[in-house]
Amino acid sequence: MERLRLIGIAVTLPLIGACGVTARLEPYKQTNAVISEGEHVVVLARKQHSTHEAEEDFVQCISDGLADGKHGLQVHSSKDFEDKMYPWFEPSTAPLSTDDLTVLLARPGVAEQVRETGVRYVVWVDGSTDRVASGGGITCAAGVGGAGCMGLAWWEDDSRYDLTVWDVQDSENEGTIYADYKGRSVMPAIVIPIPLITRPQNHACKGLTDQLRQFLTTPEGYSSPATQADVGG
Amino acid sequence: MSLLPLDRSRLRLLAVVAVACLAGCGGSQVIVESTFPKPLVEPLPVSMGVIIPDELYNFIYTEDIPDQSLWTIALGDANVAMLAPLFEGMFEQTRDIDSLALAANDSTLDGVIEPKLEKFEFDVPQGERDKFVEVWLQYAITVYDPSGATIIEWPVSGYGKSELARDAEDAVQRAAVVAMREAGATIATKFSEQPQIKVWLGGIGHAAPTIGPQAAAGAAPSAEPPTTPLE
Repeated sequence: MERLRLIGIAVTLPLIGACGVTARLEPYKQTNAVISEGEHVVVLARKQHSTHEAEEDFVQCISDGLADGKHGLQVHSSKDFEDKMYPWFEPSTAPLSTDDLTVLLARPGVAEQVRETGVRYVVWVDGSTDRVASGGGITCAAGVGGAGCMGLAWWEDDSRYDLTVWDVQDSENEGTIYADYKGRSVMPAIVIPIPLITRPQNHACKGLTDQLRQFLTTPEGYSSPATQADVGG
Repeated sequence: MSLLPLDRSRLRLLAVVAVACLAGCGGSQVIVESTFPKPLVEPLPVSMGVIIPDELYNFIYTEDIPDQSLWTIALGDANVAMLAPLFEGMFEQTRDIDSLALAANDSTLDGVIEPKLEKFEFDVPQGERDKFVEVWLQYAITVYDPSGATIIEWPVSGYGKSELARDAEDAVQRAAVVAMREAGATIATKFSEQPQIKVWLGGIGHAAPTIGPQAAAGAAPSAEPPTTPLE
């Protein structure tokens, strides 16, 4: 039994090292605008794609993250904003470019309504988290003397998101933040399955929120270079 | 002894329960419920009678999906919740009327609008790779002049998808709401662009706005939702 435990530890430790998250963040800001006191930001999912859509939880995670903490920003509820602007921010009617936004804001009542919400910046979230690879297998068996599993399963999730920041006051594209977080999870089974799960989406949310906060509050000199790093499991 | 009053909402609930019980009290039941906003569009300067037919109030869709279950989806409440504020926002004045015949003698009405839900389809993925529940629906919007003559029969479709998490019923409900909002958005932004509506508005001395949301909707950027049913 002792030997089995030692084998288990010897196998599991390298596996713990094998799972983790690699991150790549590429922010690009093209103006020096920053959010001022009393101005709100709203985070919206791009919904016009047929193949993917930023998850509701992910959008909410960024909204909550921006609003959290001592230096939290004033974040407008996405649902409330879409309701107040209905029908102009639905999947088929939402502006796809700042030129479209200019046309939209010229319509009677639209600019006034935006002003009423206090929203200065719209952050579009595009992307999704997908399982890009998986493999291995676990076999379980049960008998009179007991039950147990043996094997190894692994999978890799990829969280790729683009944040595009628009200034709705000036109908201007402020810039984008691109994030790609890859996470590998493993589940060795030596008698019992031991899940060693990484959640790249959670890391992507935190990374993008921090970057977005900096983007919206740092005037000049915001030029975080593209970063690539292992951020742990 | 008095019987409990059965309003339309209770009747619908009873109908859903009855359909489910007839199918062995199994399957998936969804009652689509949501609040829908009034559209931010310039109201057309007309007084419209609104007919909400009973079929729309009591719309229940049932489908027995092989290898899944019997689905029962009730959209009646949501239809009313979506269409009432929509028409209030689109027209300067609206009034609920029970039938077209009642509008014939009403000189205060410029026209009558009657929506129907003609088609409803949905898809719940079974494969691991498919992430979205999809709903596609199509309303038929009929506009009559006060004499009862049909001005336009306009099919309007809406498509919605929602991430399939743990609860498929919840995902269907959310996708249906998105599809209904999409259909509502099309009705609100494209109504006055319809050639027959332009002629009708011109005929009663109310030209469609040449500027503003209704008129400019054609120039609006759009990623058109699917106009064909789900495959």
